[in-house]
Amino acid sequence: MAIHLNCSVKTVENFPDNQPVIHYMPCEIKSNGPAGVSTYFKPVDNEKDSKFKKASFRGRPLQGEDISLPSGYRGLVVQETKQPLVENVERTMHVSHIFDRLTYWNWDKVPSANDPFISALSWIDISEALHSPIESISD
Amino acid sequence: MEDSSVNCAEHLGKYFSERDNSSNVILSSDIPAICKTEKCCLGVDEAGRGPVLGPMVYGVAYCPLDKSASLKKLGCADSKVLTEEKREELFGKLCEGKDYVGWSVEVISPNSICNSMLRRQKYSLNQVSHDSAIGLIKKAVDDGVNIAEVFVDTVGPAEKYQEKLSKIFPEFKITVASKADATYPCVSAASICAKVARDRALQVWKFEDGVEKSEDGWGSGYPNDPVTKKFLQKNIDHVFGFPQMVRMSWSTADKILQESAAPVEWEEEEDEASGNTPSISSYFGASKTKKRSTHPYFRERCLKSTVSL
Repeated sequence: MAIHLNCSVKTVENFPDNQPVIHYMPCEIKSNGPAGVSTYFKPVDNEKDSKFKKASFRGRPLQGEDISLPSGYRGLVVQETKQPLVENVERTMHVSHIFDRLTYWNWDKVPSANDPFISALSWIDISEALHSPIESISD
Repeated sequence: MEDSSVNCAEHLGKYFSERDNSSNVILSSDIPAICKTEKCCLGVDEAGRGPVLGPMVYGVAYCPLDKSASLKKLGCADSKVLTEEKREELFGKLCEGKDYVGWSVEVISPNSICNSMLRRQKYSLNQVSHDSAIGLIKKAVDDGVNIAEVFVDTVGPAEKYQEKLSKIFPEFKITVASKADATYPCVSAASICAKVARDRALQVWKFEDGVEKSEDGWGSGYPNDPVTKKFLQKNIDHVFGFPQMVRMSWSTADKILQESAAPVEWEEEEDEASGNTPSISSYFGASKTKKRSTHPYFRERCLKSTVSL
């Protein structure tokens, strides 16, 4: 079934100067709703390599890295005001934020190309090479 | 880590209230000139190992061997049998005795205790303790203290700990014993420094995480203290758990979070639990179920095609 995405002009205008801070966490927090991220979650630079950051969540040490999304791509934060009670119906979601970078976090492990999320981003380039139409080469 | 000179318990409080308490710090007295020339004994002890709140503090104190009696005369005894007032008074006296006694403490933040204990490779509280003690002894050596004998209040089995320390510091006569703080004046002095630093650090704790100080405070930090219990119950964040003052790796804290905060599942833990080894016969004969699986490229990246949410 179709999914409609509503995006207000205001949201688009706020981008990219006023984009939200996105953290990609190595765990599933079974909670939906607001969280006091800026009061409780305070990343600092890794003293050994300032390319990486460190933070702590529920007492566990986290290692993170700022990642830019592939060029031409945007991340969307969407909210669904009315969740459907049954499956297979049209759904409408509202884009609340747009972003083009995020901080990727691992539990006690420096982020690297071994992490599925980071290596998955490379699929975008490969997919483009595989699926884009071949331009005919005029002799 | 940084260094700074302190002369009395008030200085400690002031120092702790002005710094960010999420990282560890070493604080030291000046080194008495006599401790660089004469043979010294050095005592090691800790404070705040058990509590669920606040830092754990490691302390060393040293003086020339023949001044050990003077330390005893000051009234250095096991810090736990002294009142808080008496400890602070003695700490002041130790600082006054700066012509023959020196000390140094490492404040290990609750957050770094949790982070150590909850690493992928388990790093136990005993290891944290041993490493802090070793670090402080090394620092004293590097600063020029002429150490001859070392006395340590044990953490874990005394014989093993003594063996470990003797390997690292073969040139010193090392004694590791339980209740060393009641037996050796320099260990008592170390114990007083550690305990005073821990109490002061906890007293002036500044919440970076925006928790309001309640009127009742948070008590001693021991899990059986009703004030501490109440503090824990009142300061749960549904998503983040507790403020950094709380050692979330403690079972007391963990239990409360399991009951009252949002459940959290960590990816890796599930993966590591399911390590099925196929039976040897499965390598022979044709497999009956040949399901078409996605290419490893996609499996490794957790990529799946999706048509609906």
